[in-house]
Amino acid sequence: MIKIKVKKALVSSRGPFQINIDMNIPGKDLVTLFGPSGSGKTTILRMIAGLTVPDEGLITVDDEVWFDSDKKINRSVQERQISVVFQDYNLFPNMTVRENLRYALQDKKDEGLINEFLEIVHLSGLADRLPATLSGGQQQRVALIRAFLRRPKLFLLDEPLSALDFEMRLKLQDEIQALHERFMIPTVFVTHDLGEIFKLSQRIFVLEEGKISRSGKPGEVFGEDMLSGKFKFVGNILTLEKEDFIYIVTVQIGNNITKVVATEDEARDWRVGDRVLVSAKAFNPIIMKV
Amino acid sequence: MNKLKGNISGVQSSDNISIINVDVNGDEFSSIVLEGKKGPSNYKIDDNVTILFKETEVGLAKELTGLISLRNRFKGVIKRIDKGPILARVIMTYRGNTIESIISSRSVTHMKLKEKEEVEWLVKTNEVTLMKNPA
Repeated sequence: MIKIKVKKALVSSRGPFQINIDMNIPGKDLVTLFGPSGSGKTTILRMIAGLTVPDEGLITVDDEVWFDSDKKINRSVQERQISVVFQDYNLFPNMTVRENLRYALQDKKDEGLINEFLEIVHLSGLADRLPATLSGGQQQRVALIRAFLRRPKLFLLDEPLSALDFEMRLKLQDEIQALHERFMIPTVFVTHDLGEIFKLSQRIFVLEEGKISRSGKPGEVFGEDMLSGKFKFVGNILTLEKEDFIYIVTVQIGNNITKVVATEDEARDWRVGDRVLVSAKAFNPIIMKV
Repeated sequence: MNKLKGNISGVQSSDNISIINVDVNGDEFSSIVLEGKKGPSNYKIDDNVTILFKETEVGLAKELTGLISLRNRFKGVIKRIDKGPILARVIMTYRGNTIESIISSRSVTHMKLKEKEEVEWLVKTNEVTLMKNPA
């Protein structure tokens, strides 16, 4: 259980405001911090990491106190054993992939893990290459597994996939999910991408003006549970084709391509790439063994 | 999407399935949902809900007699018909609301549907989705 209960006065472009949050991350969950820019997400990550000092409050990870303003405890960044992955990859350019990873090892006995990690993110064949010879998605994968190799107590991801194209994002989402399930390191994830939230996070905290306005499971928070339909998926619109009075909307849901019929009125405001919720009653789909 | 606002007027549940009745301006609609006694009761009498059903799930009838299993059948007046090569859109007024039906152009021709004509529109109970309105 990770408890973060902190206050911090800040000045944003819209004037002064205060971060005042109280969030608990149970077990080894992956939780999302979601909110508009300027709502305080990055400052919260920095306070958790030990890069910014809260005005007051308490941060505890399991039984360890990382910050306690009353008792004047403030552990250093190194003592907190956190891994952070940003949008930038920050790999050492003069080291190969394997050397970059080896450098991150806390315990040299973990050497064998490098190969396992490379396999999870499908990079086994590229271990001896320099970062500059890899694509953006491949470099971000190296940065991700390097962060995992440090065996952190807490993993912070600050929009790690936002610089990647859609296909690459989907792949890395799968890999983050696989890494999280394999190593069960509690993770705080900052993202604007609804698909990422639904796919990866067990819990979401919505931040507005420094305060948590809503929290819960993604489906509860985004109102999707208001619909009685039991057959529900979030996907992206790939194409919109008009036929008579209907539109045939092709939607990518995970790795599957589906087609849904919509009316002109509905499709008017939709664009290719839009994220949509596809819902049907549990009675409609036909199910067959294959 | 056809949308009508109403209030829950009845709930009949088995372990995993319920039939929810919704009163819309005096007409009773029913929806069947996969939620029953075993789960939390998400639907209570008087709750404000919106019922949703797709245009392609709305059937039309004229001079319908005899027994039919469909519970959701109501009278509407045709406001406009747009006919395409395969599909037609029939726009009706129903108690101040607009209901649209997308059926085959063949059926429009066969039934000789015309504007201003009164018809019955029907939707199966298991095609009606309920959306809870925030209190």
